[in-house]
Amino acid sequence: MPKTLLQIDWLTILIITVLIGFGWVNIYSTTFISLEENIFDLSKIYGKQLMWIILGLVISSVILAMDSKFFKRFANVIYIFALLSLIGLFLFGKTIAGQTAWYSFGAFSIQPAEFVKTAVALALAKYISEMDNDLSRFTSQLKGFAIIGIPLALIMLQPDAGSAVIYLAFMIPLYREGLPHFYISFGFLAAAIFILTLKFGFSIFAPVFVAVFVIIYLFNRKKKPKLWRYALTLIFALGFSYSVNFILNSVLLPHQKDRFDVLIGETNDIKGSAFNLYQSEVAIGSGGWSGKGWLKGSQTQGRFVPEQHTDYIFSTVGEEWGFMGTSIVILLFSMLILRLFHLAERQKSQFSRVYGYSVLSVIFVHFFVNIAMVIGLFPTVGIPLPFFSYGGSGLWGFLILVLIFLKLDAKRKSLD
Amino acid sequence: MTTDKSILSRFYIIATALVIVFIALGYKLFDIQIVEGQKYKDLAQETVYRNFSIEPNRGNLYDTNMNLLATSVPKYDIRFDAITVSESNFQKHASALASELSKLLGHTKNYHLQKLKRAREVKNRYLLIAKQLDYSEYVAIREFPLFNLGPYKGGFIAEQSTVREHPLGKIGERTVGFGNVGLEGAFDDYLRGKEGQRLKQKIAKGQWKPISDVNEVEPEDGYDVISTIDVNIQDVAHHALLRQLEHFEADHGSVVVMETKTGEIKAISNLGRIKGSDKYYEKLNYAVYEPHEPGSTFKLMSMAAALEDKVIDTSTVFNTENGVAQFYDRKVYDSKRGGYGKISAAEAFQVSSNTAFSKMIYDNYKDNPERFVNRLYNMGLNKKIGLKIKGEGQPTIPHPDDSNWYGTTLPWMSFGYGVTLTSLQTLTFYNAIANNGLKVKPKFIKQVRDKHSLIESYSEPIIEGSICSKETALKLRSMMESVVEKGTGSNIRHDNFKMAGKTGTCQTEYWIESGRYVSSFVGYFPADEPKYSCIVVIHKPNPKIGYYGSTVAAPVFEKIAQKIYIDTPIKDEISEKVIQEADLANSAYENYYEVSQKYKTVMPDLTGYPAMDAVSILENLGLKVTLVGDGEIVKQSIKSGAKISNNQHVNLISS
Repeated sequence: MPKTLLQIDWLTILIITVLIGFGWVNIYSTTFISLEENIFDLSKIYGKQLMWIILGLVISSVILAMDSKFFKRFANVIYIFALLSLIGLFLFGKTIAGQTAWYSFGAFSIQPAEFVKTAVALALAKYISEMDNDLSRFTSQLKGFAIIGIPLALIMLQPDAGSAVIYLAFMIPLYREGLPHFYISFGFLAAAIFILTLKFGFSIFAPVFVAVFVIIYLFNRKKKPKLWRYALTLIFALGFSYSVNFILNSVLLPHQKDRFDVLIGETNDIKGSAFNLYQSEVAIGSGGWSGKGWLKGSQTQGRFVPEQHTDYIFSTVGEEWGFMGTSIVILLFSMLILRLFHLAERQKSQFSRVYGYSVLSVIFVHFFVNIAMVIGLFPTVGIPLPFFSYGGSGLWGFLILVLIFLKLDAKRKSLD
Repeated sequence: MTTDKSILSRFYIIATALVIVFIALGYKLFDIQIVEGQKYKDLAQETVYRNFSIEPNRGNLYDTNMNLLATSVPKYDIRFDAITVSESNFQKHASALASELSKLLGHTKNYHLQKLKRAREVKNRYLLIAKQLDYSEYVAIREFPLFNLGPYKGGFIAEQSTVREHPLGKIGERTVGFGNVGLEGAFDDYLRGKEGQRLKQKIAKGQWKPISDVNEVEPEDGYDVISTIDVNIQDVAHHALLRQLEHFEADHGSVVVMETKTGEIKAISNLGRIKGSDKYYEKLNYAVYEPHEPGSTFKLMSMAAALEDKVIDTSTVFNTENGVAQFYDRKVYDSKRGGYGKISAAEAFQVSSNTAFSKMIYDNYKDNPERFVNRLYNMGLNKKIGLKIKGEGQPTIPHPDDSNWYGTTLPWMSFGYGVTLTSLQTLTFYNAIANNGLKVKPKFIKQVRDKHSLIESYSEPIIEGSICSKETALKLRSMMESVVEKGTGSNIRHDNFKMAGKTGTCQTEYWIESGRYVSSFVGYFPADEPKYSCIVVIHKPNPKIGYYGSTVAAPVFEKIAQKIYIDTPIKDEISEKVIQEADLANSAYENYYEVSQKYKTVMPDLTGYPAMDAVSILENLGLKVTLVGDGEIVKQSIKSGAKISNNQHVNLISS
């Protein structure tokens, strides 16, 4: 046991600890009422978070004490259990704000989706490590997508489109393990077409795209490109661009459409759909270089930013700690993700590596989507900032996710 | 399939993508926090905080005997921030709070409890609990369970405002006025004080919560003004004028009563008719701001000039002939057809002969009109009095050098046409004559003070020299006496009480139509030892009912003089216990206030209350009151404690 402790990557632990601590400080700022109150007051948000943190410590210890072989051996069981927990929501779940995503135990609620990510990461790692490393085969790809897709579909049904976005993160480990470039290129192309069409409209996008496309083809003529690939891509691009309006108006829900409109500046209704982003930007922007000081942010203390202790916690950092504070948070996350990247790459077992990639990808997508949303680079999506936002399920989910990997990493030499 | 090289390139692609994302986020943050930081700072400032001005406490207004005429009473709006209270505190105290609220404010306990709970559910941070509570209720509600935890733990928000109240009720309410009207308006500069500022934070749409318990800029309370107004005289003057205006269906009128020796204005009432109705109210300060042609009351000034210049004496005889005198192409008429024959100057004043006066002035000054005009100027008639209150009108006395000076100007001036004076300016002149020539400046304010100290005091009369010799003044006084004794004002003559004065009946707006008059009477009383001077001016009475100064204006003067004469003791005992009296006035007011607030739907016990207070209390409760007597209440037709309804009738009998 002491040997394992020494082998744990304490740098990662340190970064996570700092993030959780700084997160709590900011949660306190968004929810405190009087400095005289007891910080352990469980009727207060910051008090609850403190309890989640302390219990998180216990959970972390348990995970570190467990046999590292357990995770690979029981990956599928854990995965099935996770799916059942999602299905069970439709029977026993509690509906909050239109989403049936919680199991309720008295004053506390648990959101299983936060734990399902770990199960998916384990199952995916086990699957890839056992199928002889061939993601170029279409059936293998399909099975991999299914592992990701089933829980994703269940979460979409809650409905929680925001959390579903996170599952795109698993494309990164798949890509790393040999998923053809095509999928990634295709995804980026689709995203680019979507955004450009939204911004400029089909009538401008289509001719420009065709012109650019023809020029690229002409330049590449000497390499004898396959014409049918170009043609298919062009047809797909124009068709997709043409249907963007249809997707916006018929597939997306009105509030989702609004969020896109806000993002591209189509709507500026700061009292309506753009309210959250506007308040968040004002809070962050008004922080300037060094911020207004802890507990001194006018927007934060005026409780202007909705959901500030959860999804919008980063706006508190921006307002009260300024650019210094936000830079430090970005830096901490960069360090964490790059460190995990480094750890994942040094794994000898494919299982550990895929799992490690999943961990860093999930954290990265959470981090990116959350902060991009708060500063207006991404449509409003209700996902938390890892280790930072208020919420027991989220905090525990991330702790479990990372600590399993650290445990695997500590034992990397002894494993197959 | 995948080579090591391919894997390595994928590793770099992923790593590059991550780094690009980190940089993109950092760049965007730099952009909104640093590049556009100021813009967002301004936005934050603008959307969150705003300075609200806090009205200072307006000073109290007292009458000359320290009767409280107007005072500001703090009122409190109570609100509840349902979010700031912790769950445990809310659970513990909400029920007790609801029960206390139901005792204080009515409604059931459950009603209040549901209201509190609903507010907490919908996250209302500004729930209105009660409006316009008085101080004692505020102190009580502040100690209620939950509220006693203060603004943060208990969600207690109190917002103070002030309400102006007139403790004496209807007496002089119009004169005391509101805002810019009446005495409140006149003394506004002193009473108003300075606004403070309080920073408030926006907590919801249209809702602002004070940032802290202290104000950013403390308001400075207004000064207390002890006016020279005597409530009793004011009351008499007001009602006498009102009655006369109503009777003669006049357009507007004013009355001013001034203490002869000191210049203190004891009463001033200005009533104007509400368009299209027969109601009058304190509208504009006509007596101070409105210069008008004085008509025959100006004969005193002409006579004073002529006597002072010794161009005539009281016995100088003038031929009124048959009541018409021609100057150039215009004719002067006497009001009595056929004239008065040959009469002395004194008699001319007594009967108010226009022909005699026009001749008196024209004949003596036609070669040197400047001498006459300069005499008037020397008596200060072309200058404002220089009052402490705003808006005094500018008098006009034409000068021979003026381009509009005609041959007829001088004779017409002699009986008050072509010159304009405000009522107060005319009164000041008459008062000087009553003072044997000593001109005393009129004043409205005795003292201006704040809570601790005297700011300004005007206890000494301001003597502005003599306008004429004592000899001339005495001659004029005897002439004015004879006006009431046997002249145009003899209709108000009394055997036991001598008054002196001059009537005035003057055409006005003759350029629009004939038949518009200004009726006036100026004088002083008692005639032999003048104590008060008084002017009554009534504009545009219905000529079918009457328009002579003697019939329209003089009776008002008479009523005031009589009332004061009867009420004024021979020896004026000036109380040295002014402060004690003020306390008495205050405690009387507190009683009044307590009762008026306590009883909303049940009949209070008014035994022992001053009649006017009692009437005021009951009228505020919506009752119709018939009062017998004017002392303290001894009997009331509805028993105390009985339920009362709107417009119910009640009889009061007082001692």
